[in-house]
Amino acid sequence: MIQVFRLCKDYGPFRHAISDVSFNVERGEFVFLTGPSGAGKSTLLKLLFREELPTSGQVLVNGRNIGVLPDSQVPYFRRTLGVVFQDFKLIGRKTIFENLSFVQSVLGLPRGEQKRRAYQALKRVGLQHRMNSYPSELSGGEQQRSAVALAIVNEPVLLLADEPTGNLDPVLSEEIMKLFAEINIRGTTVFVATHDIDLIRRMGKRVLTIEKGMLRERDMARESLAREAPFLPG
Amino acid sequence: MNSRYLFGEAWAIARSGPRHTAMAVLLIALAFYVPGLFALLARNLSRMSDPARDPVGVVLTLDPSADARAIAAKVAQDRRVARVTIVGSEAALERFRRAYPDLGAALQELHEAPFPPTIEVHLRPAVPALAARDLAASAQSWPGVDSAESEEAFARKFRDGVRLLRGAGFFLGGLLAFAAVLSVASAVRLALDLHRDEIDIMRRMGATEAAIRAPFWLHASFEGLAGGALSLLLLYATYRAAIHLLSREPHPVLSLFWVGFLDLPTALALPAVGAIAGFVGSLLSLSKRPKS
Repeated sequence: MIQVFRLCKDYGPFRHAISDVSFNVERGEFVFLTGPSGAGKSTLLKLLFREELPTSGQVLVNGRNIGVLPDSQVPYFRRTLGVVFQDFKLIGRKTIFENLSFVQSVLGLPRGEQKRRAYQALKRVGLQHRMNSYPSELSGGEQQRSAVALAIVNEPVLLLADEPTGNLDPVLSEEIMKLFAEINIRGTTVFVATHDIDLIRRMGKRVLTIEKGMLRERDMARESLAREAPFLPG
Repeated sequence: MNSRYLFGEAWAIARSGPRHTAMAVLLIALAFYVPGLFALLARNLSRMSDPARDPVGVVLTLDPSADARAIAAKVAQDRRVARVTIVGSEAALERFRRAYPDLGAALQELHEAPFPPTIEVHLRPAVPALAARDLAASAQSWPGVDSAESEEAFARKFRDGVRLLRGAGFFLGGLLAFAAVLSVASAVRLALDLHRDEIDIMRRMGATEAAIRAPFWLHASFEGLAGGALSLLLLYATYRAAIHLLSREPHPVLSLFWVGFLDLPTALALPAVGAIAGFVGSLLSLSKRPKS
């Protein structure tokens, strides 16, 4: 699903955000990207999402070399992805249901299909009963679940999340991770950047660690601390 | 991208900053009102001097008892004269009624013809400008001629004045339209700022740049359209107010020419140009990729 080869991203001659990073993520995998603040996690996610262009190296997402993807093709590429950020990014003047159907109306989907998909996505995150609420009327966890619903409403093949639990307490963080695990079980590849080591350990998934723009990979599942994986469904 | 989304979002943009939308509409209305007023003045003034018509060089005002045909024949003998037209009292009245239908009705109550018979003398195009004055001076002493006046210089000056007025209108119109475009551009920029989160979400979800920008284009075009329409309303209100004032207190000059509103194409051009100005304004502010 993701193939990164000798990826570098520089901001000017002296700031190397990503240096010679290579890794693969298989279809259907659940991978964490961790590292201290400023290590390059968000930059790497932006590169995967084609919000930034690499200085050198190659990034292939879902078989497409996004480094050479023409600007006109970027929107169509992004329709195959879902993205969740730390700040929930919901439209305040619209209800949760309207938020979800709005983004689909921009993409030109028929109204009936918009409603169906929006309802399905809200059902998957367990928020169908709050569909007519405005973001400000929801708790932090509910807002983040809404953001997840927004990310999965287009049924993406890859879900990218950048510090999705950064604004949530441990209980709500676990809830969101459980949601990600459920989405992953249904076949979506999930790539989550977080610095919450404790959460990563309990999930027992593959971990990529980035430090000062360079990658070192650890398989947390094999580590003793990952014996328990309480959020894995089933 | 469907029309429901397009119009819905354009409306949402207008509602998100109602004061700025109103301000932009008002500025556009003002920007088009001023050149519109010039156009209105120029149109009414130009009715008094139709440049398409062969200009009259000399007008001889006759004594009602004079033999108009004999005087006309005498004038026609002059080699500088191209042709002469006898305009009787009735014909002058009829011509006035045609040119000023509103005022013509008021003259119906008069018992005697308000206009004396005249002879309009058209000179050959090649003759010098002073010829009209010479001819008027010599005709002044003819029996049956009350007065003889050279019209050419006045008519030329009048036409030049109307042209100048039109030019000033176009210049001011261009200047103010540019200001209107800038005001729309700044209103759109503000709307972009207010909708930054939405733009970010739309872009993240894979919306094309055209889909993101289209509601802003539409919103700005409607702003321009509304501004142009408002300027048209203001112009009509000004025109009607002037008519009302002149009917209560007639003015010897203003009452003569202030008789018609803008013709339909010019009137329709105001909102149309307003919409174009709005669209151009939005293009200006959206020329760079809207920041998310």
